[in-house]
Amino acid sequence: MITLTQVSKAYRTTRGMHVVLSNLSAEFASGRNIGIIGRNGAGKSTLMRLISGAEWPDSGTVVRRARVSWPVGFSGGFSGSLTGAENARFVARIYGMPTDRVLAFVIEFSELGEYFDMPVKTYSSGMRARLAFALSMAIDFDVYLVDEITAVGDAHFQRKCRSAFEDRRDRATLIIVSHDLTTIRSYCDSCAVLRQGQLQFCDSIDEAQRLYES
Amino acid sequence: MDSVLTQIQVVYALILRETRTRFGQNRLGYLWAILEPVFFVTTFALVYRILGRAAPARMPIVPFLTTGFMPYLLFRESSGRGMHAIEANRGLLFYPQVRPLDLIVARSTLEVATNILAFGLIVAVYSTYTGSLDISDPLQVLVGLGLAAGIGSSLGLTLCAASVFSSSIERLHGPLIRPLFWFSGLMYPTAQLPSGYRKLLAYNPIVHCVELTRTGYFRGYRADHVGPIYPLVWIAALLFLGLALERAARRRLVLS
Repeated sequence: MITLTQVSKAYRTTRGMHVVLSNLSAEFASGRNIGIIGRNGAGKSTLMRLISGAEWPDSGTVVRRARVSWPVGFSGGFSGSLTGAENARFVARIYGMPTDRVLAFVIEFSELGEYFDMPVKTYSSGMRARLAFALSMAIDFDVYLVDEITAVGDAHFQRKCRSAFEDRRDRATLIIVSHDLTTIRSYCDSCAVLRQGQLQFCDSIDEAQRLYES
Repeated sequence: MDSVLTQIQVVYALILRETRTRFGQNRLGYLWAILEPVFFVTTFALVYRILGRAAPARMPIVPFLTTGFMPYLLFRESSGRGMHAIEANRGLLFYPQVRPLDLIVARSTLEVATNILAFGLIVAVYSTYTGSLDISDPLQVLVGLGLAAGIGSSLGLTLCAASVFSSSIERLHGPLIRPLFWFSGLMYPTAQLPSGYRKLLAYNPIVHCVELTRTGYFRGYRADHVGPIYPLVWIAALLFLGLALERAARRRLVLS
């Protein structure tokens, strides 16, 4: 459903090129939630942006045969000066969704209350994540790219996220990146380890843990 | 076809968003944006009045200045604001739907619409005040304004995409644009210039836009040395360059 072929990505830094991904090939099938684990700086977020299509690889191709979300996480995508509602309206419009329906869903799901009509810059990071998560759930994606988000929020919100994903398990696939195996263990069927610019798929999450900790 | 529709959707969403971030909560915010060029023209008209100067060939001073300033402002504003489109909205590229080109198109469209509205407002208020509206060829006026908007927008696209490669490009804009205020025939008909100067100024595409707007506005205004072809060539060249740069810039953009 999503195929990466020989994907490389490097960034310019003051100390020359920094290679993040080198010749990475991978295939993500639908219906199998997958967790990607890697240390800070291993290139997890870069990989997510490439899968989503927000950034382009330096070489290689990324083919998406499904409606893929943006990388849902704490950061990015919201303008601090606009309110939660205005941000939500914008995202609904670019995805061609009826704004009323999206807004109603987000109000209900995010439980932001009166904060929904306040500028996003007044939000805590947990509230931003709740807004991002609710917004992504309001739009019907085939694949949800989730960037470290599920560990936030209180137990109540986490339960809500879990049941939302279980509800759409048969029509939506999750790709989660994290540096923490607990999240991945509770959501995913399989796991891959990202290190040295390469993605290694593992048969079980325990195997991924051994590889990650080695 | 699907992707064209998506892009239209995205540009529309961006325009609505831009009106909000740029003009603020207040509905009056947009009014200020329209009034800005109006003040510009009025100030110069007052200076003319105070100095006791008249427009050349007994043209009424307000339409004379408006037909000069508005093409110039369209050009200046759409290129200047378009140029910063990516820089100001980098965070939105986080959504894969939004492409750099969309950001630039949305900004230019809003800028052009605002300035055309301002032009309409000046003409409407002025003709109400004088009690008569006499535009020789309204279509021609729109051609002149449209060409100026086209050059500005395509220049904005080129500068914006180029600034992804080198941020010092943005500093070029001011020194490039400001002198054109004096060399685009805003306050004098270029047909009255000695032929050497006239030929030199005709290399400036904004001169063509200004003169085309004036020949459309004033009955009997002659400017045989200008035409729409030259500005169109500029637009085509800038568009080609800008779109090529934008394609290359997409790979270069770093989102975080």
